[in-house]
Amino acid sequence: MQRRRIPCGTNCLRSTLQRRALLAAMLLGSLAVSAAQAPKTPTPTPSTRSGAGQSSTPARKSYAPAVIETGKSLFQQNCSFCHGRDAGGGESGPDLTRSKLVTQDVAGDKIGAVVRNGRPEKGMPRFDFSDRQIAGLTAFIHTQQNVALTRKGGRKGVDVSDLQTGNAEAGKQYFDGAGGCAACHSPAGDLAGIASRYKGLELEEQMLYPKHPKSSVTVTLASGQTITGILEYLDEFTVGLVDSTGVYRSWRTADVQYEVDAPVNAHVDLFGKYTDADIHNLMAYLQTLR
Amino acid sequence: MNFLKIACLLAAGALMAIALPGALLAQGQGVDARTLLHPPADSWPSYHGDYSGRRHSSLTQITPQNVKDLTLAWAFQTDQSAQIKSSPLLVDGILYFTVPDNIWAVDARSAHQIWHYTYPPNKGNHIGNRGVAMYKGYLFFMAPDAHLVSLNAKEGTVRWIVSVADATKGYWTTMAPLVVGDRVIIGVSGDLDNLTGYIRSIDPQTGATQWQWNATPPPGTPKGTTGGTMWMTGTYDPDLNLVYWGTGNPTPVLNGSTRPGDNLYTCSIVAINPDTGKLVWSFQVSPHDTHDWDAVEIPVLVDAEFHGEPRKMLMQTSRNGYFFVLDRTTGKNLVTAPFGPVNWSLGVDEQGRPIPNPAKEPAPDGRLIAPDEGGLTNYRSPSFDTKNGLFIVDAHPSYSIYFAKPADGVYGWAGADYGVWGKGVIEAIDYQTGKIRWSHELGPEGSGAGVLTTDSGLTFTGDAQGNFLALDSSDGKTLWHVGSGAHIQSSPITYQLDGRQYLLTSSGGVLFAWALPQT
Repeated sequence: MQRRRIPCGTNCLRSTLQRRALLAAMLLGSLAVSAAQAPKTPTPTPSTRSGAGQSSTPARKSYAPAVIETGKSLFQQNCSFCHGRDAGGGESGPDLTRSKLVTQDVAGDKIGAVVRNGRPEKGMPRFDFSDRQIAGLTAFIHTQQNVALTRKGGRKGVDVSDLQTGNAEAGKQYFDGAGGCAACHSPAGDLAGIASRYKGLELEEQMLYPKHPKSSVTVTLASGQTITGILEYLDEFTVGLVDSTGVYRSWRTADVQYEVDAPVNAHVDLFGKYTDADIHNLMAYLQTLR
Repeated sequence: MNFLKIACLLAAGALMAIALPGALLAQGQGVDARTLLHPPADSWPSYHGDYSGRRHSSLTQITPQNVKDLTLAWAFQTDQSAQIKSSPLLVDGILYFTVPDNIWAVDARSAHQIWHYTYPPNKGNHIGNRGVAMYKGYLFFMAPDAHLVSLNAKEGTVRWIVSVADATKGYWTTMAPLVVGDRVIIGVSGDLDNLTGYIRSIDPQTGATQWQWNATPPPGTPKGTTGGTMWMTGTYDPDLNLVYWGTGNPTPVLNGSTRPGDNLYTCSIVAINPDTGKLVWSFQVSPHDTHDWDAVEIPVLVDAEFHGEPRKMLMQTSRNGYFFVLDRTTGKNLVTAPFGPVNWSLGVDEQGRPIPNPAKEPAPDGRLIAPDEGGLTNYRSPSFDTKNGLFIVDAHPSYSIYFAKPADGVYGWAGADYGVWGKGVIEAIDYQTGKIRWSHELGPEGSGAGVLTTDSGLTFTGDAQGNFLALDSSDGKTLWHVGSGAHIQSSPITYQLDGRQYLLTSSGGVLFAWALPQT
């Protein structure tokens, strides 16, 4: 299950200064949290991890043309708007030919679950497709991945080799200085080996805004009792957390006081400050942390 | 519901019919030109509710004081996984609404299904459907495979089906058509391929084409652009006899190298004479777009004072992050102002157009761009609150990274982009300055709900988590909410039926009707 990303909204009462202090104090930096969710020993997956010049492709199952055709038709009707007609990415949806989930999928076990459940927090609706339809979709997507991996004249989309234009030394200076990254992160601590866990676009996305960041929240009840936990849900009306025993608890925001600590918001603050060169330099620096 | 209540409702209905002779006369006749020009309170006869696109209602039964008592009148389950993205029509007490391939006619008093039409299985793009149009006793519905279907509104039976574009080339259709006089004006979608975007006027009786206006030259024109699809419903000024439409982005989408220059008439607001199909004026909101920021967002028509002078204006919060006010007689620009983070322009030129920064075009090593490709707002309707002089919009402050390299080619998408962060905010913009008077946070990623305002001072919308919201239009404070259990992808409507004001909202595949409790 994915956690929904919940940055601090209007109801975040803490001042920036208080937050900064806590940010520094919090050992669980957001990158570290994300990194902890990554597989400990990642399997090489050529679609997302192939470097420049690397062209080896995994042995892939081939599918009956009729099955692929069924999947293709279904894909054009329901998926192509977001994921592109060739599954290579389009409006808002990721490039499925470079998707780790697609690479790890066996006979639709992963693709089917995503299609049938959707990813509502990402704007992806669910689809009530039959097993036969899922089999067709899976066949089409895997076939498109094979086509993309063996395409002559360079791959579409973002390769690791595309993201090598920065200067690592300048990136380190930005990390320690203007970027303020060192307030939460350290190359010997949470970021040690980050470049071995993430590569290319995935590393850049994690750097800019980590997927599934965790925030903590402290709720103060009318009685004065306080409960701290991982923020699980927050809108204007309800605050929900998972407490230290793993239990989900929620309250009406009107009945309690609460304070959200969302270290990930430091990433949001940087969006308006970065130059593209800063981002490329930071990428170069992070790629040295193997 | 017991019989006593039904009897009361019937009696109330009879009273209303006496009180509103116009409504009674219209019973069973569907929508005529007069209804479209002056919609009665007991109707919502077109996508925007009226020709102005303001989505502002004069109804005042639901007020800031009593909105907290709003209660569920009924809910209608489509039993489909497709999300409702349409605005229902209300005509003669019957609601008509859609998802791709499906139309329902439902009793607005009971949610009783009168009929359900399904279009035959087809290979068109099923991304969404925004609803039907009605003229006289007939409905007009766009099918995913770029066909216009005319149906008899009484039974939901097909009168005729005409092709409006070649779906095999990559066109599809989603929009709710606009009826102007004896014309049904439709537009096409399709920016996964290098295709010409256009609107077409169709004879409501026969389905014959009356005229077509192309936003871009034919594919293959040297140094020419393609694109400019017009996939949202336009607006209409009967006095100037002009229809206003936003045009889509150029193609190839992220790579502009084969289409040098401004790429007219993509990412533009155009004024067209509905009798001739001729362009009267145009204003380009994104010259040479390379970020998929089509300008199809609703061109809202407002008559009000601008800096002390009465003005006929057109306002748009555009996907590219700018709020525009134009004089809709001439197309002259009055205001250009960003309504959230925007980092892709070098400023505004003498015509009021943003100047794209070449350094922010998609590049092999990526460019950080605000807003993201979904834009600072998208197809869900904004509202112009005539009472407070506020343009109220569901905004999406956001950042993304854009890539393009030679291997991506020059066809269709021609690059890659990835959203990195976004949130939803309702913003109330002072139309005379472009400054934000108040804002209301909606949550992470953003909301898909449009906006409706009323004369009583209410703003109806929804948040990122699927709560329907009623806000105070003067300051944005929450006055009512209810969790809907799914994401919201539509714009609310309101009408008064049997003397009772209803608010209609949808989320997921469910349509909800809200009203004050009956005594």
